[in-house]
Amino acid sequence: MVPVSYYVLLSAVLFTLGVVGVLTRRNALIVFMSVEMMLNSANLALVAFAQRWQSANGQILVFFVITVAAAEVAVGLALLVTIFRSKRTTDIDEINTLKG
Amino acid sequence: MLQFLENIFGPSWIVSLIAFLISTTVILIVTPVTFMMMTWFERRIVARMQDRLGPNRVGPAGLLQAVADGVKMFTKENITPRAADKWVHLIAPLVATGPVIFLFAVIPWGYGLSPVDINVSVLFVIAVSSISAVGLMMGGWGSNNKFALLGAMRAVAQMVSYEIPAVIALLSMVLFTGTMNLNKYTELQGGLPILGNTLKDVIPDLGLGWFVFTPIGLVGFMIFFICILSEGERTPFDIPEADSEIVAGYMTEYSGMKFAVFYMGQFLFNYALSMVASIIFLGGWNFPGIPQLISIAPPIGALASAVVLGAKAWFLFFVMIWLRGAFPRLRMDQLMAFAWKFLLPLALINILSAALWLTIMLWCTGDCTQNPWVFTVGGINPLGWLGNSPVLRQLVGFVLTAIINAGAFFWLLNVNRRPAGETPADLARDQAFGTASLP
Amino acid sequence: MNILIMVIFVVLAAFTLAAGVMVVTVKNIIHAALWLIASFFSVAAMYLLMEAEFIAIVQVLVYVGAISILVLFAIMLTRHVTGEGVRQLYKRWWIALIVAAALFGVLIVPTVFNYEWAVQPSGAQISIASTVEIGTAFMREYLLPFEVASVLLLVALIGAIVIAFEERSTRRRVLTLAEEVEQRRQRNESLRLAPTTHASETSE
Repeated sequence: MVPVSYYVLLSAVLFTLGVVGVLTRRNALIVFMSVEMMLNSANLALVAFAQRWQSANGQILVFFVITVAAAEVAVGLALLVTIFRSKRTTDIDEINTLKG
Repeated sequence: MLQFLENIFGPSWIVSLIAFLISTTVILIVTPVTFMMMTWFERRIVARMQDRLGPNRVGPAGLLQAVADGVKMFTKENITPRAADKWVHLIAPLVATGPVIFLFAVIPWGYGLSPVDINVSVLFVIAVSSISAVGLMMGGWGSNNKFALLGAMRAVAQMVSYEIPAVIALLSMVLFTGTMNLNKYTELQGGLPILGNTLKDVIPDLGLGWFVFTPIGLVGFMIFFICILSEGERTPFDIPEADSEIVAGYMTEYSGMKFAVFYMGQFLFNYALSMVASIIFLGGWNFPGIPQLISIAPPIGALASAVVLGAKAWFLFFVMIWLRGAFPRLRMDQLMAFAWKFLLPLALINILSAALWLTIMLWCTGDCTQNPWVFTVGGINPLGWLGNSPVLRQLVGFVLTAIINAGAFFWLLNVNRRPAGETPADLARDQAFGTASLP
Repeated sequence: MNILIMVIFVVLAAFTLAAGVMVVTVKNIIHAALWLIASFFSVAAMYLLMEAEFIAIVQVLVYVGAISILVLFAIMLTRHVTGEGVRQLYKRWWIALIVAAALFGVLIVPTVFNYEWAVQPSGAQISIASTVEIGTAFMREYLLPFEVASVLLLVALIGAIVIAFEERSTRRRVLTLAEEVEQRRQRNESLRLAPTTHASETSE
């Protein structure tokens, strides 16, 4: 059995990588992917805790996180594609007006 | 036993590692051979349908044609376009084909012949079969070719759209049976048509309780089979590789063994999904005589069950070839309209009738008063007249779900039919906006 | 057995981290998406290692099968695919790097290392959460969140359709060659008439 702290450390590193991606990259799609990676790392920690405490609750929470992530991706990518149509860019520095 | 094995072979994990290595090797040998047989079979059958002979020179009746093709593929030049994304181009066939071989890990080949027995194998099949879309996308993008990219976009759009009705059709069967384990489906489909195993004590096990004989199973099988055709890019739905429009779709820039691997993935995908369809809907290895054979002589029974299951899968593959010989290709908007306007609503109604069947079967069986989940209407149990007889309940459920499913089927056909007074101009407008009705 | 699991874990963890680093650093967006898929996949394998088979399969189904395909489609629909020659990073990216490193070093690492992981969980040991248990929990304790999640999915579905179909009447139609030529001729004429107002469009 792998100690749960290893999983938590791995998920922390993954989360930080996601933060780095969100903060440094300028392409909205890559920012998006980094957010997905952060959600994934949280899931990893949750499953590790669920296994540690031998309960289903952690896994159920993961299920809800996955649901919300799927909803987020559907709406977020639709928004991105629409923004690209009107502004011709996916650079988040240039998407800075509220008007389309 | 485990101790004994440990004494001989070392710790138990080494034993299980060796066991898995053996079954992996068997799968990796059997699947390419199946693929070779399939190509030969398809070419011969299509040739017969088109009044030709087909391959008949290499080996008896051309059986070794596939070997000759394999040698040709191996010796061909392996071309990578200069502008291609080298690594993506190289890995794409593996990503497309690997998951298909994964599928064979959970599909039982016969009685007691499943490589891995996991509890959620139906879900596994659904999940893993959706990975190969990534491989197609990689192939289409990595080739740096417009036809390849178009073909990949078409293929992935088609796979994603047709996955939804397929999943819902399988889900209605999961609801119907209450299990996601492919090994359990065969046990549940013994006995008589419609009644299943309920009269097992009176009538000997005929092995004919296939779900395709129930209304829910029939509709589910229809939907699932059509979706298999589409996901495996078989002929009425082979838009992604329509030769007359976009050369060979995402395979345009592939040659030699890379092409062969793509091709193998496609055929094995068809075969794996045919196996799944035969297990879930066509009774698995159930056939009159097989249950008795298994109980008398398990090894011979297992062999016979594998033969029966294989025969069912090959029959479904034959139907696919038959459709290829009989039908022209659909247009893209027809394809999408068919998935979203016909198959999806039908699958949803099917899941409702599966729930109704389950309600009729389970409502207030056994001791009614002890069950907290049973509620009554005005102090009277609305299904009390059914009593505890499962046969009566099954017959009532059969009639009700048959009425619902048949009604839904004809209603959807009627809704999707083109209006009588439609002019060609209307049709052209509809096609332009992708809202054309079914032909 | 323990050694085997440990080795598998280390390999998977190394692969996940390598894929994560590639997602964040690689220039080509498509490559970033493919590395992201790889990291999803190895996380799914790690779930299997933790005997959470249902979650592992759902991870493959939703992330690898659906989300990654959506991301790839979105990349194809937005141009500048390869992203070479475009500025990739913020001007002051090193500040972001310091912030992230501080977050990791100050907040996360002390928490992970100071918590006493070795303490055994109190109470009776229940068996590993199986698919049946998860399903039962969804129908009993978690019925309301489950329904809310399904409504959320429905709303997201409708929202995505509404957003994406905004320009449908102008975009969806595939023009015939004659129509395209006609359109190009009209555009050129209008350009010749009023070159200043359309300067931004011609620059593309």
